[in-house]
Amino acid sequence: MVDTVSLQADLSAARLRHFWTKAKGWIALAVIAVALVQAIFPIVWLALNSLKNRLEMFAVPPLWFSMAVTSENYVATFIDRPFVTYMLNSLIVAVFSTFFSMLIGVPAGYALTRFDLGKAKRHIAFWILSTRMMPPIVTVIPIYLLFSSMGLLDTKASLVIAYTTFNLPFVVWMMKSYLADIPRDLEESAMVDGDTHFGAFWRVVLPLAKPGLAATAIFCLIQSWNELLFALILTETTGANTLPIGIAGRVTQYKTEWGEICAAGFAGSLPIIIFAFIVQKHLVRGLSFGAVKG
Amino acid sequence: MVGVTLRHVYKKFGELAVVKDVNLEVADQEFLVLLGPSGCGKTTTMRMIAGLDSATEGDIYIGERRVNDLLPRDRDVAMVFQSYALYPHMTVFKNLEYPLKIRKVPAEERRKQVIDAARRVNIEELLDRLPKQLSGGQRQRVALGRSLIRRPNLFLMDEPLSNLDAKLRVQMRGELKHLQHELKTTTIYVTHDQIEAMTLATRVVVMNKGEMQQLATPKEIYNNPANLFVAGFIGSPSMNFLQGSVANGVFEGKGARIAGLHAPDAAAVTLGVRPEDLTVCGATDGQVGGEVFSVELTGDSSLLSVRVDSVLVMARVDKDFTAEIGAKVWLKANPTRCFLFDTRTEARIA
Repeated sequence: MVDTVSLQADLSAARLRHFWTKAKGWIALAVIAVALVQAIFPIVWLALNSLKNRLEMFAVPPLWFSMAVTSENYVATFIDRPFVTYMLNSLIVAVFSTFFSMLIGVPAGYALTRFDLGKAKRHIAFWILSTRMMPPIVTVIPIYLLFSSMGLLDTKASLVIAYTTFNLPFVVWMMKSYLADIPRDLEESAMVDGDTHFGAFWRVVLPLAKPGLAATAIFCLIQSWNELLFALILTETTGANTLPIGIAGRVTQYKTEWGEICAAGFAGSLPIIIFAFIVQKHLVRGLSFGAVKG
Repeated sequence: MVGVTLRHVYKKFGELAVVKDVNLEVADQEFLVLLGPSGCGKTTTMRMIAGLDSATEGDIYIGERRVNDLLPRDRDVAMVFQSYALYPHMTVFKNLEYPLKIRKVPAEERRKQVIDAARRVNIEELLDRLPKQLSGGQRQRVALGRSLIRRPNLFLMDEPLSNLDAKLRVQMRGELKHLQHELKTTTIYVTHDQIEAMTLATRVVVMNKGEMQQLATPKEIYNNPANLFVAGFIGSPSMNFLQGSVANGVFEGKGARIAGLHAPDAAAVTLGVRPEDLTVCGATDGQVGGEVFSVELTGDSSLLSVRVDSVLVMARVDKDFTAEIGAKVWLKANPTRCFLFDTRTEARIA
């Protein structure tokens, strides 16, 4: 004799569980949608606004798409003003500072994971991290005076050096943990097989650290690309000014050139967005690197 | 083809000595096994021979050369790691090729040697695969192939079979032994599995807590253990131990009385006897008495566990043997097959 009461209770419980599983899926999707909108909206708004004239930009209620698409903002930014130079400067400074940070930081991170430095290791590692704990503005004046005495003011080189010092601790710490995840067995095997230690590092360890390298490089690039404070302090003329300075400079004493800011902002984001798209496969792997085992 | 010599080798981390006074002479073409439980120092010893760790004290010779200050790459050894250490981003072909590429062997010659090595270990069809596409046994063969491709003077193997399932392990053991015989290369092999040691070795070094316990052939180690540790470590199921004292050639312990021993009188003695040297008998000539704890059929025989006072004694009995759990049973031992150890020092007395 089937107990219909308890059977019905079981069925309802099963239906409820099924509904709840589906509901959780919808909630997750909603949260992701909100996060996505919050992340993408500013870029999209910049792009849309860069094609509007001043009147349309401040229309109430807000106008999404321009009725009278205009190129006046882009012309003003890139032709009337040296924004192409600014972007090139930003590019040079970002690429070189990332390159030097990685060149020095990756071997440093490797040394911290692999070599026995005794008690010094902990202290060195902490000291490297501690340089990032300071608000950068604290170092502005000493750095200005230092570069002034070296005759490096208003040069791209000064920015490359300054940004490298900011990025280096970050690279060391990121690569330290990525490289620690690569089993020691692999480079030891390479060394027994006949390779030098550096050869084993170059041929075996680095290829396996590609995700970590990509993730770290992208972060360094973004940091350097967006940096305003030191660019403002250390550079003066167009020859060395970077994109953030150019954009900030559109907020003048008399008025704020919103159109040009939008055009420069959107165009300025593009290189990084494109680069991130290209390496995103590596980036995602790099962010979840902990799960990978050799 | 060379031998290996270790003289008074120590490895210390600060005050802690993980390898203490190891003295070893490995003959040319010998298959020497370093056997012991986890943490006994066997892998550290091997790593010092390979050059991956430096010896704190002592001398290590490969052939006539003192190698303490030589880098691994200059010692002409090949090592198979427990994890195989296959380069995950390289195909099997490239993995095998690596040692030759480093030495700038020309491409055509490399190709020939890779195919030859692959044939030796039966992985010719796998050359284009990545390590992650291989099974455990296949990876192991690739690791072996990579180690033999250079025809080194010395093979070092660090528990290469421990990641394989039982059946594959048995198969690979046979293949390893055959390969070593074919290549006539001196081999030093680390394992915690005493069956591997017994089946593969020409000689075995039993280690415990950083110290060598005994260096002898497998037969000698089995039949003539130097101390309590070696006696208990070798043999499966392991040797039975009973505490007691010896007087006038008679061992007396709780639930046990064995006569006919050739041993000096001693107050605190541990008597060891292997399961296969105990037989079930009647109460009249029984020497060890207790209650049946369990009877386990292993296929070709059975293992009878008897609770003697607070200790479980195991005897190997006929596969058709049956007994009620809790029933009283008597065992007798062959006195010539009993070992006596000083309970305090654990050294063998008789």
